[in-house]
Amino acid sequence: MWEQIKQALVDSTTHFLTRFAHLLPGLAALILALFVSAVFAWILTAIVRRVLASLHFDERLGGWGFSSLAEWSPMKSPTRLISRSVGALVIVSGFLIGIAAFDLDWTYLFVQKMFSYIPDVLAALLVLFVGNVLARFLARSVLIGAVNLNLQYARFLSIGVKWIVIVLAFAMALEHLRIAPGIVELAFGILFGGIVLTLALAVGLSSKDLIAKSVERDVKKASSEGVEDPLGHL
Amino acid sequence: MEAEQTLQPMERTAEQTGSADLVVAVLSEFDSNTIAKMCDELRMVPGALRIAVLHDDQQNGPPPVASEITQDRASVFLVPSLLPKSDVPATGVVGMSATYQSVFAAAEKLHARGCCIIASKLEAGTPRWAWRIAQPLFERDADLVLPHYARRKFEGLLNACIVAPMMRALYGKRVNNPMGPDFGVSQRLFQKMLGARATGDQLNSLASLTPTALSQNLQIIEVNVGPRIYAPTNWSNMSSVLADVLPPVFVDMERNAPFWQRTRASVPLSVVGETFHLDEDSPAVDTRTMIESFQLGARELQEIWGLVLPPSSLFELRKLSRLPVEQFRLPDELWVRIVYDFALGHRLRTISRDHLLRSMTPLYLGWVASYAHDLTLAGAMSPARRLESLSLAYEAGKSYLVSRWRWPDRFNP
Repeated sequence: MWEQIKQALVDSTTHFLTRFAHLLPGLAALILALFVSAVFAWILTAIVRRVLASLHFDERLGGWGFSSLAEWSPMKSPTRLISRSVGALVIVSGFLIGIAAFDLDWTYLFVQKMFSYIPDVLAALLVLFVGNVLARFLARSVLIGAVNLNLQYARFLSIGVKWIVIVLAFAMALEHLRIAPGIVELAFGILFGGIVLTLALAVGLSSKDLIAKSVERDVKKASSEGVEDPLGHL
Repeated sequence: MEAEQTLQPMERTAEQTGSADLVVAVLSEFDSNTIAKMCDELRMVPGALRIAVLHDDQQNGPPPVASEITQDRASVFLVPSLLPKSDVPATGVVGMSATYQSVFAAAEKLHARGCCIIASKLEAGTPRWAWRIAQPLFERDADLVLPHYARRKFEGLLNACIVAPMMRALYGKRVNNPMGPDFGVSQRLFQKMLGARATGDQLNSLASLTPTALSQNLQIIEVNVGPRIYAPTNWSNMSSVLADVLPPVFVDMERNAPFWQRTRASVPLSVVGETFHLDEDSPAVDTRTMIESFQLGARELQEIWGLVLPPSSLFELRKLSRLPVEQFRLPDELWVRIVYDFALGHRLRTISRDHLLRSMTPLYLGWVASYAHDLTLAGAMSPARRLESLSLAYEAGKSYLVSRWRWPDRFNP
């Protein structure tokens, strides 16, 4: 009896040690992959940062209308944001390659799935990024335009437009990620419709002055053509 | 006397005309009779000058110009074919810039010694003023002849409160109408403008004329030309005007920064002609709406203004927005700092340039309301003196601009 127990313990210990020994090369490969990718990421980050700095990327980005990206970036520098993102991407890739080195079926499948999912993640991130930039830009345009029209609810309009675009971008991103598409579709419809209805009610109920101003402006424009000619202000 | 009287419309192609001493481009919409009178007046100019009049009135056709070629009087030719053909007339500073450029190209093609651009209408309606603008080009060897319009208190305010005093402070010459739009331009200057465009330098042929002449120390003369006819101002749509007029001014400011940072104080320009005095004044403006717009801007646009204005200016603006309408005053010193900070924001591209300039509208309306209040006070100073004090504030604030321009991050009071 005792011998049998002893044998079972030895067998399981041997089995554990054997499996652990099998894992060791994979673990070593993972650590090596992480180390190499970290070094590679560091070098690549430095190169990207230098290249972007030499191109005056931060200043040019402002000129291209993406100045709001600076507000989101570490130390208000889009160059740092991009270079660090590139570094992080290299480390994540190194980690996945390291995992694949375990040479097990499930790790192989996991890595394969992860890599096939990466384009979707990147597309979703891009949609989110563009949506955010667009939302901020449009919100600012609406705010300035509404203030110049002397509309008291300018801020409200601006926030409404911003959230419409953000919700749309978020729903599109989730659609790309294939996360509960049915629920996302439904939630998006409800949220989008809700925002539009809220805006319509809020603006409609207090739009007397907007319509009056609009009509007044049209009448003035029709009665005196060329009123807005900038040369008339010089 | 050899004379050749022509009773039919005198219309020539560029090839037929060959060359001219002076090119007069008429860009404003005059009827054919006025053009004919203008040509007749130009024909009375002493000296054997060849004057080409560029005018393209597609609706009325060429005016009946009676041209007479003599030895002691100028000969006048109507040359419509050198102006760009367009169904929609050019408007705005950018649109007009292209037209000015084609006028310069036409003058160059005709080997003209100077050109004169008439882009506005005068109240007096005298057709002789084309020659009054062109005359200093020939008789005083001027490179740029600028108009000095007699103006009522609310006319041309964008020029009076931003463009003219800022150029005076920057370049050290007291120009009154740096952006014309009527100009006399020497061959040397229009060749520079054409050359700069050819090398890819994005000069605006309308807005950059005066800064180019000032920064290259060319000779500038002002001519008193009387009051212009202004269209009624639509104060509710100033944002598009600001977004159209100010960008080329700020771009020139950036281009000529090495020059104006060395310039101190200002000197008057040579002036030709008698000063005009106006009897009637422009109608009053609705300052309440302007101040409401300013207050709304101060409440809602703080976040945007905060990207270009330093905290001290934002604090003062917040204080001003709480004042009752009748006590509202925007001090010149604050207004000058705001304009300079927006110019810097335009240079640094802190936010989209269009957003930046449009967000300036409530501030501009605030200044106009403040100016209107100043002029309605009992014993108030005249508009000219009021604007002179503003110009002095621009000059006094230049050290602030230079510091902000050189160290935008470090110098942020």
